[in-house]
Amino acid sequence: MRFLADEQPPVTHPTVDLGCGTWCTLNYDSVISSGIAILVTIIAAILIARSMNSNRPNRVQALAEWAFSYVRRTSNENAPDASTFVVPLAATIGFYILVANYLDFLPITLVRDVHPANTDVNQTASMAAVVFVLLHWYNIRLRGFKGYLLYYTRPHELPVWARAIFVPLNIIEEVVKPVTLSLRLFGNLLAGLLMLYVIGLLLPPILATPVVAIWKLFDVLFIGLIQAFIFMLLTLVYFGLAREGFEQEHSH
Amino acid sequence: MDHLAAAMIAFGIALGGGAIGAAIGDGLVGNATINGVARQPEARGQLQGIMFIIIGLVEGMYFINLAFGALFVFSLGAK
Repeated sequence: MRFLADEQPPVTHPTVDLGCGTWCTLNYDSVISSGIAILVTIIAAILIARSMNSNRPNRVQALAEWAFSYVRRTSNENAPDASTFVVPLAATIGFYILVANYLDFLPITLVRDVHPANTDVNQTASMAAVVFVLLHWYNIRLRGFKGYLLYYTRPHELPVWARAIFVPLNIIEEVVKPVTLSLRLFGNLLAGLLMLYVIGLLLPPILATPVVAIWKLFDVLFIGLIQAFIFMLLTLVYFGLAREGFEQEHSH
Repeated sequence: MDHLAAAMIAFGIALGGGAIGAAIGDGLVGNATINGVARQPEARGQLQGIMFIIIGLVEGMYFINLAFGALFVFSLGAK
């Protein structure tokens, strides 16, 4: 067990001030943790790609192809013309989050300044920011800038005064997307880590070890997989939602 | 009242309310899944996948609560 009674809870991160304002800080432990996760992701992806054989597919290849074709199918159902950049994005994000979550099986928190990568909100918010920017770039490219602004006056069937009422609601809807996307992943992962902290505080070590093992099996194996999948799926679904009403507007 | 006590009370209220909401949501998801499986038993596999996605989404809200509550208690309340 890593957490001791007098130790800091895993909520705060060691922060380096870069000296340019309140928001201009660097959590170097998150940089280290996500760096490890990124390295493992890249190496795993290269190894999987190297071992691929079109004549005799092995098990890992079958799993990877199944997962990738699922992403491609879902993307084609939601936003067919965005598939060229959404499929690599969503597949990479999903695989990276899965690797970062499953690294928690190893006792990585024993190493100083290393923690599960997604337990820092900056880490998940940066991924959500990439999705957010790409989403709006895609929307502007799809409808043109004027159409993009008109997109905020949904639903288009209503009279003008009613559409004006919907503008703030639509803006809130767009802002809430990346916020919930990042906070959902962060909250789930941080709750899992806090649970380890609380178990370490409340239980004697001999009892804590099996409880931690059971909790990690549930939390990492199940929650980690589901959250990676949800983040990936919502990325795909948001691109589909950006097309909402586009077909009707341009069909007549 | 000092900050830590206030943060702990807020944490308790947030956790309680969030747990009620997440439990109701999970119950609705389970209800709908059972109805679907009872009507079309062959769709069980598909429905289970969707069920877990929705459960993850529903409980996401609760975990956001939990994370923010812990942030308040451990980080802000300790000051």
